[in-house]
Amino acid sequence: MQMPHRSPRARRPSRIFLHKREENGMREITFREALNEALKQNLQRDERIFIMGEDVGCFGGIFQVTAGLMEEFGPDRVIDTPISESAIVGGGIGAALNGMRPIVELMNIDFTLVCMDQIANQAAKMRYMFGGQMNIPLVIRTPSGAGRGAAAHHSQSLHALFMHIPGLKIAAPSNPHDAKGLLNTAVLDENPVLFIEDKMLYNMKGPVPEEYYTIPFGQASVKREGRDITIVATFRMVNKALSVAQELSEKGLEIEVVDPRTLCPLDKSTILASVRKTGKLITVDEGTRCNGFGSEIAAIVAEEAIECLQAPVIRVSAPMTPVPYGPTLEKFYIPGEENIKEAVNRLMAYG
Amino acid sequence: MATEVVLPALGLTVEKGKILEWYKKEGDPVQKGEPIFLVEADKVTTDVESPSSGVLSKILIPVGVEVPILTVVAIITEPGEKLAAKWMVEGPAVPAAETRGEPPGPVSPGERPGAKTGIPGDRDVVPAARRKANEYGLDLSRISGTGPNGVILLKDVEGVFAAESKISVVKASTLARKLAEKEGVPLKEVRGTGIRGRIMQADVKTYLERPTPTASGPPLGSTLPMSTIRRVIARRMSESAFSAPHIYFFSEVWLDPLLQFREEVLLVFEKHFNLRPSINDFLIKAVALNIADFPMLNAQLKGEEIHIMPEINIGLAVAMPEGLIVPAIPRADRVGLVEIVRQRSDLVARAREGKLTLQEMERGTFTISSLAQYDITHFTAILNPPQSGILSVGKTDEKLVMVNGQVQAERITRLGLSVDHRIVDGTTAADFLQHLKWKLEHPAFTFMSL
Repeated sequence: MQMPHRSPRARRPSRIFLHKREENGMREITFREALNEALKQNLQRDERIFIMGEDVGCFGGIFQVTAGLMEEFGPDRVIDTPISESAIVGGGIGAALNGMRPIVELMNIDFTLVCMDQIANQAAKMRYMFGGQMNIPLVIRTPSGAGRGAAAHHSQSLHALFMHIPGLKIAAPSNPHDAKGLLNTAVLDENPVLFIEDKMLYNMKGPVPEEYYTIPFGQASVKREGRDITIVATFRMVNKALSVAQELSEKGLEIEVVDPRTLCPLDKSTILASVRKTGKLITVDEGTRCNGFGSEIAAIVAEEAIECLQAPVIRVSAPMTPVPYGPTLEKFYIPGEENIKEAVNRLMAYG
Repeated sequence: MATEVVLPALGLTVEKGKILEWYKKEGDPVQKGEPIFLVEADKVTTDVESPSSGVLSKILIPVGVEVPILTVVAIITEPGEKLAAKWMVEGPAVPAAETRGEPPGPVSPGERPGAKTGIPGDRDVVPAARRKANEYGLDLSRISGTGPNGVILLKDVEGVFAAESKISVVKASTLARKLAEKEGVPLKEVRGTGIRGRIMQADVKTYLERPTPTASGPPLGSTLPMSTIRRVIARRMSESAFSAPHIYFFSEVWLDPLLQFREEVLLVFEKHFNLRPSINDFLIKAVALNIADFPMLNAQLKGEEIHIMPEINIGLAVAMPEGLIVPAIPRADRVGLVEIVRQRSDLVARAREGKLTLQEMERGTFTISSLAQYDITHFTAILNPPQSGILSVGKTDEKLVMVNGQVQAERITRLGLSVDHRIVDGTTAADFLQHLKWKLEHPAFTFMSL
């Protein structure tokens, strides 16, 4: 392959990441840096792994998640593609079928709709339709979520659509530590994994071990324990729930926050155990209301633990509209601490 | 004064009836003794007569609807009297009933916009409250809801249960009360034959003329209504006995070392802590420590999942005249013996006064039931649901035992262990009991950390 055409946008060198070391030993890095480190460690570990996507190489990724990787591993391991989502995912599928372990990137989850056939009809179904004869160890990384004023086509949270498709695993990290661990697990999986990154989390700092580690899929994490209300939240909403829980704890209310970490496979038993304990459930998710993540959790609880409910299940979600462009409206659109507190107040009327 | 027309008791075992025909319409005058509707129950139809004269102001239960006995089906007012607001049903107008007073009449179906079902008395109840009400044997139509739109909440059910466990309000006519007071008759023991179980003067007279009871217990031929506690116990014991397959194990424990240990520490304990530990206290601690080694005995079956409870809370069965109550000592494996003695005496004392909280009774994960004060060698105990193990303690007897070819006198007690075979297997149970026996026979080692 000849020297890649250097895009005029790629003026700057790779970012130099400054790592702050916490006093008790575990350094704190950003979500973006954690992913970068995971990708780097994987590229080092296994030569079958490669990265492919729009602007991932020279530019280092639209959100700089792949910064420095092409310089280190070369254009054969970090490949810039034309703007063609179907080719990106389709090419990834082909490579995976032939023994490679691709990590492809779609610049926004909104663009998965362009290559939906490749993801849902091809990647997700191949193992089944070919009688288990093939492995498709493909990871599709994609940023999701609103908050950057990127408007309706670049701000959606479509994970609920993919929960509905059998054959796809979905990772949903809410902090840097989980991001690195889950990405490492995704790369090891012999099945297609949609690795969704909440774009507003890239700057979030948190403790991350330096060594290689994995977090198993299908294992939710109780981020905060409590007896009064259960909140099941995804992505950035986990942190908003934690902040509300912290605030209300001073008023004597103890809220338990459950982070599913993977939407498929979903850790039902942790969620149900929590609801059985508290009897009250709020789901917080940035997807739109109808058939969203919250709907599935509510249905599971209604089916398997209804007699533990002391109050209705409340879904906090985005409204059924496209993501607005104007900043005031966009802020109103995204579920926030106020929406969560309102839900808590509604539940407290039930004792 | 308005009169409530109820569906009368139609037979000893009849619980419900259906109105087949109303002979009068709303607004018609009625005479006392005149038949006003036809009711069907268990394939038998009967005319029901009006209890008073006046105007049939409101029909609450229409034709074709099956309702429980003693449901208020209509209201008769005196001529010129206005119908009370609570009987005029428009919207979710549920009269706020006191939790231990008269039950509110059921709402006429179809008149309430957005009513859940056509069945009168069917309120909105949150699922957890409904389940608790079933467990306690409480009638939801008697409970008023404090949630939004009058929804019955879990705490409403708990509140009614707690209140009822303590008191039961007796309904009696003024004459009956006067007579009862004069003759010193406890109204609680009188069976009422008036409307809705009201005690009438004749009932008090019957009580006074009753045959004297036998030495212990009620007289032959008497019928006792089940108290709330009795009902709950009956329900829970049946549920446990018929759903959990019980297996039983017995072991004879040589109690001399423990009895001696207790003797030795008793004086010092009393002097330092002003407490007298009983053998039960040592037993509680030993069992708790043993469960720490055998966590399956602290497990509960929920659906298809075995939940191993995070804390070891040992319940001690306390016998009361109304039934067995089991308050539990929390984290018995981790608190010192002093704390166990304190908590045990406090809980037992309060149990006898009926002053335990629900949490103190519900938190138990394993139960100890002792009949050591009776002349019972051993007995089988039924699990206290949802627990998976229960220890029964028989009396301590002095027996002759062979030890290394020599005959010795030893004080022996027989411990029984019942476990839920769905969760605990024979070997685990046997192992548990064996280790418990060892712990009790080596008290110095077991109770090293007080």
